[in-house]
Amino acid sequence: MDWLEEELRRALARKEPEPGFTARVSARSRAGGRGALSRRWLATAASVLVLAGSGAGYRWYQGVRAKEQVMAAVRIAGGKLNQVQNRVLEVAK
Amino acid sequence: MMPVARAEQPVADFDALVREHQAMVFSLAYHVLHDRALAEEVGQEVFLNLHRNLATLQSAAHVLFWLRQATIRRAIDETRRRRRQPQVELEKVAEPAIGPAERDPMLSETLRRLIAVLPEDARAVMVMRYQEDLDPSEIAELLEMPLATVKSHLHRSLAVLREKLVRRGLGDR
Repeated sequence: MDWLEEELRRALARKEPEPGFTARVSARSRAGGRGALSRRWLATAASVLVLAGSGAGYRWYQGVRAKEQVMAAVRIAGGKLNQVQNRVLEVAK
Repeated sequence: MMPVARAEQPVADFDALVREHQAMVFSLAYHVLHDRALAEEVGQEVFLNLHRNLATLQSAAHVLFWLRQATIRRAIDETRRRRRQPQVELEKVAEPAIGPAERDPMLSETLRRLIAVLPEDARAVMVMRYQEDLDPSEIAELLEMPLATVKSHLHRSLAVLREKLVRRGLGDR
């Protein structure tokens, strides 16, 4: 074996992961295997739900506003009709 | 690759398997990705996948083969997905920013960095050869690659690494 192959074996010798690796793997297997990559998907899904919820909330708010505007228009129109009716009655007397 | 001495051993319980193989799995991922945090994540995912597939593995040798194959594939996939280490022609890799020395303590790190920018298949071959000490036929079986391709990757990668190190005064021995 030449010097380069010796150096490569030294450079690529096995290394231990950070302490507690087995415990972290066991914890994840008990938790159903959710890891950082899965958590990223969950975070993305949560963001989508929040956005969808925000959209639905905004549409509900727009509906309430539209209903209030319609009711205000009806009240104004009703008031005007009352005024017109009163004038008609006064003229008829 | 099925080591004869281990071929008849039954599969141990999951935690014992993790303890036994964690250095091998973590190091394979680390030497491909050159990123400890990412190597830990890939290592954990490989073991979780092992946990799901444990019933299909009949022997300790089968577990070892499965772990090596799953780890190297997962690490290469992660490299392709993230492109953290841009793949370039080995001849065009910049020289590491360290000076020559009689017995450079940074030589190992220099080699790891040079290997980490090898094309993915060549990287996998080099790591299997010099971390796991597998011979070319075992590597060919594990990586599902023609034997001639494995030998070509080894020959070419060694030649270029040697040239780069000698040029830097790190390997003129």
